[in-house]
Amino acid sequence: MDPIYFDYAATTPMRSEVREAMDSCFSHRIGNPSSLHQWGRRASAALESARAIAAEALGAQPSEIFFTRGGTESDNLAVLGRCRALSRKSSMPTLVISEVEHSAVYNTARWAEERGELRLVVLPVDMDGIIDLDPLHVALRSGPTVVSVMWANNEVGLLLPIPEIAALVEEFGGTLHTDAIQAIGKVPVSVADPGIHLLTSTAHKIYGPRGTGLLYVRAGTEITPLLYGGQQEGALRPGTEDVAGAVAFAMALRLVVKELAEEAIRLEALRDAFEDRVLAEIADVRINAGAALRSPSISSLGIDGVDGGLLVNALDLEGIAVTAGSACASGTIAGSHVIRALYGPDDTKATVRFSMGRYSSEVDVSQGASVLVEVVARLRRLEQAS
Amino acid sequence: MSRVLVAMSGGVDSSVAAALLVHAGYEVIGVTMKTFCYSDTPAHSKTCCGLDGIMDAKRVAEALEIPHYVFDVEKDFTRDVIDDFVSEYAEGRTPNPCVNCNSNTKFKDLLARGQALGCDQIASGHYVRIEHGPAGSSLLRGLDPDKDQSYFLWAMPKSLLPQLLFPVGELTKSAVRAQARELALITADKPESQEICFVPSGNYRDLLEKRLSSVHPALQPGPIVRRSGEVVGEHNGYASFTVGQRKGLRGGFPEPMFVLQIRAAEREVVVGTRDELFERVVDIAGLNWLAEPPTMGQRVDVQLRYRAPAVPAIVTLVGETLTIELAEPQVAVSPGQSAVLFDDQERVLGGGRIVGASKGAMV
Repeated sequence: MDPIYFDYAATTPMRSEVREAMDSCFSHRIGNPSSLHQWGRRASAALESARAIAAEALGAQPSEIFFTRGGTESDNLAVLGRCRALSRKSSMPTLVISEVEHSAVYNTARWAEERGELRLVVLPVDMDGIIDLDPLHVALRSGPTVVSVMWANNEVGLLLPIPEIAALVEEFGGTLHTDAIQAIGKVPVSVADPGIHLLTSTAHKIYGPRGTGLLYVRAGTEITPLLYGGQQEGALRPGTEDVAGAVAFAMALRLVVKELAEEAIRLEALRDAFEDRVLAEIADVRINAGAALRSPSISSLGIDGVDGGLLVNALDLEGIAVTAGSACASGTIAGSHVIRALYGPDDTKATVRFSMGRYSSEVDVSQGASVLVEVVARLRRLEQAS
Repeated sequence: MSRVLVAMSGGVDSSVAAALLVHAGYEVIGVTMKTFCYSDTPAHSKTCCGLDGIMDAKRVAEALEIPHYVFDVEKDFTRDVIDDFVSEYAEGRTPNPCVNCNSNTKFKDLLARGQALGCDQIASGHYVRIEHGPAGSSLLRGLDPDKDQSYFLWAMPKSLLPQLLFPVGELTKSAVRAQARELALITADKPESQEICFVPSGNYRDLLEKRLSSVHPALQPGPIVRRSGEVVGEHNGYASFTVGQRKGLRGGFPEPMFVLQIRAAEREVVVGTRDELFERVVDIAGLNWLAEPPTMGQRVDVQLRYRAPAVPAIVTLVGETLTIELAEPQVAVSPGQSAVLFDDQERVLGGGRIVGASKGAMV
């Protein structure tokens, strides 16, 4: 059996159209966009064209798109940058995040809170995926508030009610940032909703290159930069621009948005077929956040009686690439704050995430399910024997 | 082809062990055990199992084109190795954590997880030899007398032996390095790890102070006494002492003084001259046998410290504990250290922890 990749939520392979677009930027004809000669002009034109394409894909104006070097950077810039801009004008801002945010927001928020930069409010999410918005109401009434809630969760695929939150934030005059990294290309995402002020996207989850991100900043939303230097990206992200990355990103974004309707239906069918098999053939298994609205590409399972790390190792040896919880620097599995949020601290199930993408086929999903069934049965037998 | 799990610390020995197995045609899976939290140790520390070790092991595995995984054994390691280390010092003994780790945590865990990954055998880069014969498996000293690590392995369950492979046990250290260079392994010239992995500073007292209550008797001042009971000084906590130690005893004696004994109950450190340090009769407990258990009157070779030469001895009492009489008295027989018994073919018979030593009856 050929190895099968079920880790599209970790990163995606680059698609050929994107690679070709990127390749074209590596020729000697493309210089530094800031240069005042033809090499510079060509680079600048490519960059601005990429910006326009990205803006169109998200329903934004080109002037509202700021390229960064990745999702984590965009999240930091949005959360810290907006809070700092607010605190320069008034009292300490309140940052409201959900309990299931990606560590790029979650840990950044906790760090800033410890440093006394902001007051942090964390919105609980229950096992049905329902987010408690009451603390958000309270915070919005209390003073300047920045809200950062992800559009789709990376670990379990849970979709959060961004339009509802946006309406609330708009009503009270707060700022809403949403990390839409796992949502773009999976569900319709647009900044047309006036309640969304900041939005993070990254290229490598949508068949673009790693190391390129963007932050959408609604016109009039003031941000304090994290880095200082030149005037690139409106001085919000100084440093010579990554033209090739931006061009590739824009191409990737345009393609996934164009293909969204069809691809989402296809992915959802794959995911459902996979989960039907799992539920039918493995006892004591849970689809994490299974009752909630979810991204069509992610299936996160909670499995009793096995070790998560070992399960991932055993699947890898069978050629099945998946993720368990979130990997820490050493390569072991750290406990997931997302699973803890949903199921409490005493949940002992091993978490394993299968995520599908545009190269996943029905055959892949069926083989993946078969291998999983077999490996779980083997690990459970050994666990019981010991 | 049989599938083997290789414990890779990120050092040269286990790198070469993995490489030798790959070249011998085994299907090899590399693993590194994460034994404790790295956030407390400085980056780029030299200890074998730090994060650097994991990264080096990953790179070697990648070069050998084998999978590599990290097993998180932090909980077991803390309970079986670190907690035991601390409580042994607290009792006035000198523990050997590497025996615990190698004999208990490492191979047992590797075997359990190895089975889950479809591995028939477990290998490591220890300098020991293993012989698998129809009558069973025997553990023997490594061929390189300077590197032999059999002292650390006496306490493992005998039932594990048939599944173990030690590819570098037949080699000298310099041959291992030469192999590594020939294979261009990045770990070829990596320095040896010396310190206890969870005490990278080498100062174990810091760890004891962190893990014991600050009022624990082992950390309180107490008297330094002679065998006669005469008080000759004061120490800063008996946990800082080990039998045979000279350093740390303040001067003022006409001849060099050594720690002879730690009397935890009295918080006393007993000191004496080098002559007084020699013991002849050794009691060991917590016995474990990898071969036929020895019988009364059996001649054996016994090793009382890592890297110490084995000395001839006779088994004089066999029961729950074992008593051996050394042919020649030895210095610094430290309670807590292992006594490992060998036959005259360098075969590991087994051993125990030293619980007491005395001059015995002079013959």
